[in-house]
Amino acid sequence: MAAPCVSCCALLSYRLFFRGKVNLAPRQVLWKAAAAELPTVSGSQISRLRHTTVLTTKKNVAALRRETYTVDFIKKQIDEFNIGKRHLANMMGEDPETFTQEDIDRAIAYLFPSGLFEKRARPIMKHPEQIFPKQKAIQWGEDGRPFHFLFYTGKQSYYSLMHDAYGKLLNLEKHKNELQAKGLFSEEAKTKDLIGSRWLIKEELEEMLVEKLSDQDYEQFIRLLERLLTLQCGAAEEEFLQSFRRSVTIQSKKQLIEPVRYDKQGMAFSTSEGKRKSAKAEAVVYEHGSGRIKVNGIDYLLYFPVTQDREQLMFPFHFLDRLGKHDVTCTVSGGGRSAQAGAIRLAVARALCSFVTEEEVEWMRQAGLLTADPRIRERKKPGQEGARRKFTWKKR
Amino acid sequence: MGSSWQTKMAAPLVKTVRGWSDLALGVRSTVLRLPGLIQVRWSRYGPEYRDPQVDKEYYRKPLAELTEEQKFERELRKTQLIKAAPAMKTSSVFEDPLISKFTNMMMKGGNKVLARSLMTKTLEAVKRKQFEKYHAASSEEQATIERNPYTIFHQALKNCEPVIGLVPILKGGHFYQVPVPLSDRRRRFLAMKWMITECREKKHRRMLMPEKLSRELLEAFHNQGPVIKRKHDMHKMAEANRALAHYRWW
Repeated sequence: MAAPCVSCCALLSYRLFFRGKVNLAPRQVLWKAAAAELPTVSGSQISRLRHTTVLTTKKNVAALRRETYTVDFIKKQIDEFNIGKRHLANMMGEDPETFTQEDIDRAIAYLFPSGLFEKRARPIMKHPEQIFPKQKAIQWGEDGRPFHFLFYTGKQSYYSLMHDAYGKLLNLEKHKNELQAKGLFSEEAKTKDLIGSRWLIKEELEEMLVEKLSDQDYEQFIRLLERLLTLQCGAAEEEFLQSFRRSVTIQSKKQLIEPVRYDKQGMAFSTSEGKRKSAKAEAVVYEHGSGRIKVNGIDYLLYFPVTQDREQLMFPFHFLDRLGKHDVTCTVSGGGRSAQAGAIRLAVARALCSFVTEEEVEWMRQAGLLTADPRIRERKKPGQEGARRKFTWKKR
Repeated sequence: MGSSWQTKMAAPLVKTVRGWSDLALGVRSTVLRLPGLIQVRWSRYGPEYRDPQVDKEYYRKPLAELTEEQKFERELRKTQLIKAAPAMKTSSVFEDPLISKFTNMMMKGGNKVLARSLMTKTLEAVKRKQFEKYHAASSEEQATIERNPYTIFHQALKNCEPVIGLVPILKGGHFYQVPVPLSDRRRRFLAMKWMITECREKKHRRMLMPEKLSRELLEAFHNQGPVIKRKHDMHKMAEANRALAHYRWW
């Protein structure tokens, strides 16, 4: 039963509101609600309104059924957001045309300073697309027949995607067979940049399809894509595959390299800090030296009588084949003997990054020298004697 | 009461999402953090962290020598997060993983200093004994005497490894000792465990650990001694219980 008019109950209109579910005030009144529609990925183009009459009780009705928003409502929100953005830009004295989302966030943080610890409870102003969850349009027509041929599978976008992908696979294999029959098929080595990107994860796929998937569904889909990768694809298939890949950062680029400084005598040196458990160390590594290490003014042989700690100090130098070539002066405090050694090792490794090539920095990172060890002492829990040890079990 | 606290403690920690941060190729890592399962043992590193590769030679190898697979792996490692190297591992040539493992097993109450000193004294004692034998022997025998304490240690522990083990399986209300093949790791562990237990218990009160351990290692190197006997006992029991082998279902 299609009806043209939409009657929404009094929803709060906001240009600026707090993130979370929209809470409709409970009412004891019979009210008409309109089911929400938004166009979906797989293209049921026509969105229809459907009236449902809901009798409210004292319970919070909104919590019982999923929030549904009409297209007009969302459009109105977007218009209000854009107007509000321009007002905000004027308020802050900036150009409304070039007011980006980061500017909006900064402006809101300035105008509404909040001391709340929960970041999600703080005031935000974002585009309605990010706030309101994506929803599917009504999938069937006036006569009740669904538009999509896979509607009764329950996950129509997922299965139609699998169907398309498999169709492409079959086409490629047929093409390959034809070429092989004619003798024109040539095995080309694929040099695709597989390292710099990854397949999208299950959450991202769910977001794309606006449907809930199971882990097995997702794995099956990835397997199909991997199979497609092994075949020679044309440009269209390449594009199809690329739409499911996301880029991955090269980790070594994130490493901060200290600049080399020069002291009064003109000696080149580099300073860095390191931490391990509760020990903090600061190391000054000189570029030219004879392998002397001074810790808190004391020679390292006297400060660390245990061999293991001295091995840890030697580790970065030995790894880079620069054992007797640098002098180190460091200060360390806190922690125990092993924690101090670990802190100095990290500080020395970070300081050495400034004297060494980028490739060697990456090697150090892969050897685990540049990662701060996040392990800390596990807390004692109530009802147990220690972190893991339980009290003696008594039968009675 | 304790266990329920632990599982409740685990739940909010699991929810701290490490982010959809750059997962490498492969789907396996997502399975580890299923929302339905609450992990009780957790580590400060996320599941995406890989173990560090400390060996210097791995990095110094020129690119031409590597196979396609190794090159791919190299490229892949550049995108992965790596854990910090533990305090016991260095790139030193003098480091031996088996010796480190044995030292840790000998350690009591976290006293690594003592365990390590005992280990070095043991190796020294082994070396001294072998050198005495070497100097006292004739030239034909000198060729057969092994003086490197590390090779003696490795060979002795390899000789002590059992091939087959026994596992208690509950069937019909009784526990039966069923012969079962052991994995490499389990075998190494049993060899080391037997060696340490033997040295701790069956010695004269005043004898020190290095002395006793060096003696046991040398005996095991020549396939004699109580640890080898224990290994043979284990094999005999397994042979005796052959009929129960079908109780194993894996």
